[in-house]
Amino acid sequence: MPPAKLNAQAMARRAAAAIAPGDVVAIDDGLPTLVPDATSASLGAWFLGNSGMLNDIPLSQADAAAVIRGGYVNLAVVSAAQVDTTGSFAGQHPPGNAVDLAAGAHRVIALLPRSDDVGASNIVPALSSTPDGYRCVDTIITDAAVIDVADADLTLAELAPGWTADDVRAITAADLSISPTLREMDFTPSNGAPPSKIYPDGPSALADLPDGATVFIDGFGGPGGMAHYLLISLRDRGSRGLTIVSNTAGIARVVSFGTPPGRTAIDHSVLIENGQVAKAIASFPVSPSVSRPSEFELAYRRGEVDLELVPQGTLAERLRAGGAGIHAFYTHTGAGTLIAEGKETRNINGRNYVLEYGLLADFAIIRAHKADTNGNLVYRGTSRNFNAVMAPSARVTIAEVDEIVAPGQLDPEEIVTPGPFVQRIVQRPQGFTGYE
Amino acid sequence: MTADKERLDRAIIAMRVAKELPPGASVNLGIGIPTLVSMFVADESIVFYHSESGVLNCGPLAEEGSEDIDLINAGGQFLQSVPGMAYFSSVDAFAMIRGGHVDVTVLGAHQVSATGDLANWMLPERGVGNIGGAMDLAAGAEKVIVAMEHNDRSGNSKIVEQCDYPLTGQGCVSLVVTDVAVMQPTAQGIVLLEVAPGWTPEDVQAVTDAQLIIPDTVAEYEV
Repeated sequence: MPPAKLNAQAMARRAAAAIAPGDVVAIDDGLPTLVPDATSASLGAWFLGNSGMLNDIPLSQADAAAVIRGGYVNLAVVSAAQVDTTGSFAGQHPPGNAVDLAAGAHRVIALLPRSDDVGASNIVPALSSTPDGYRCVDTIITDAAVIDVADADLTLAELAPGWTADDVRAITAADLSISPTLREMDFTPSNGAPPSKIYPDGPSALADLPDGATVFIDGFGGPGGMAHYLLISLRDRGSRGLTIVSNTAGIARVVSFGTPPGRTAIDHSVLIENGQVAKAIASFPVSPSVSRPSEFELAYRRGEVDLELVPQGTLAERLRAGGAGIHAFYTHTGAGTLIAEGKETRNINGRNYVLEYGLLADFAIIRAHKADTNGNLVYRGTSRNFNAVMAPSARVTIAEVDEIVAPGQLDPEEIVTPGPFVQRIVQRPQGFTGYE
Repeated sequence: MTADKERLDRAIIAMRVAKELPPGASVNLGIGIPTLVSMFVADESIVFYHSESGVLNCGPLAEEGSEDIDLINAGGQFLQSVPGMAYFSSVDAFAMIRGGHVDVTVLGAHQVSATGDLANWMLPERGVGNIGGAMDLAAGAEKVIVAMEHNDRSGNSKIVEQCDYPLTGQGCVSLVVTDVAVMQPTAQGIVLLEVAPGWTPEDVQAVTDAQLIIPDTVAEYEV
């Protein structure tokens, strides 16, 4: 008689032990739904369910898929009916998110169903049905063992208490190598906490922004929705050779929307006149008035900066696509114009479409109204526009906010940008305005 | 000389365009004459104004002293907060446009061709220009109306056989309303529909670069 198999809670505890502080963990239906309860709340993990809930924040299926494909899922715990020696798996229900998870998650753990049917094996040389995930499983957790998958080879790494390698081999159809460090399963929960996202000021939040970086900067045009304090902090940091991606390339100063007399609006011009910008990617780069050229236009005429002009909707969609793991898309916008020159154009159903690529950045400096300490953001009015779109598409997104609150203080129904998209938060100093 | 005949003012152009907005329509108004259109939409004809800045159901501009920097239209002007407004991201703002959920857009133009090509984002002599939302609106709105002066300040016709300014979109304009006429670009050429009071079709042709298709009956511009 082989020893007793693990119960479902013990399997979930073993999966939970693989979660690192702050991880985003996608949870498949079935056994994986037990994993969140087996995880310490202090770990600050984010659990994304098949229903689209990200902890208590409801996401649309499109946004949930963007979290997955955009590379934000550190770990996916999937339910597998079968796993083969290459790490392909077949789920035990309609695939749901499994196919996206297989493609997008950094690491995939397959939880096999419990079985008292000794002799039946779910770990097989070849799947008996089409895979939901192709060669994506890194670790298999069963009710008897932990098996690592690498290079089309299965390695027995851990045993349930009381089990031997021979016991496991006896109920496994596929060949198993034995790890030289084979050990008993360790259920010790992960502990620790994610590093704080709160930075004391702009300079500290931008201290590692290098020369040559691509930086998303919002600011639709007026004084709202722009991270003025971070812009000034970036000027003071002095990083050079920047590519800035923004709706405008700094027009608030010349258009002077609502600027109090005797003051100057803060916009991208502070970087341009400081010689920090090499290129702008923008839809509305210059002043609407020929007679009042912006700093960017003057620098462009002097040949000091490059410009990539992008229709505004294409800019928004390129920003969205980058963060959502969509590499490219076709749009009718710009077909037959200068914008389409040099780009692939395809006729689809009798209409011409232009191929456009997703945008990614090293940093985004965005403006929101409030953040909680987990990085969840809410915006005010039209100032959501490009800020919310940019947040997922930068490696480091820094939000300048009016107020930082404790988790639970923001209504999850009103959260527009979930915390995993925000790496750093800076409170705008009291009394700081968009004017110098 | 026909060019000396009296032309309609900008408000009359806007009034004529307002007739084209069906009740319940989602409408995006560009900068300039198009902005004036909202003044002439009948109160009972409920129209939902969309702005690329990320708001639907835009109301009037904010009064001086009560501006909110987080509530602007696409031109950067401050809006009043009115009941029934909806805010959304730029992705959603343009999904509405490209997805065909904006029924009518009214835009200004530098040039419109006989077949409905639109050029409105760059004056070649400047060498750089702003596209903003214009290309998306041209590509995605169900109906693109151009509201503009018929001739530029030097007297050049803005209705041309072929645009020589950089295009915003090809064959996208379905109606052109100017200070002397209402015209409909088609694949076969531009059809003269209405003329300003006191103008004849021949008068309009005399100030128009493109060859007009003149039907047997041409109505008087009606507001």
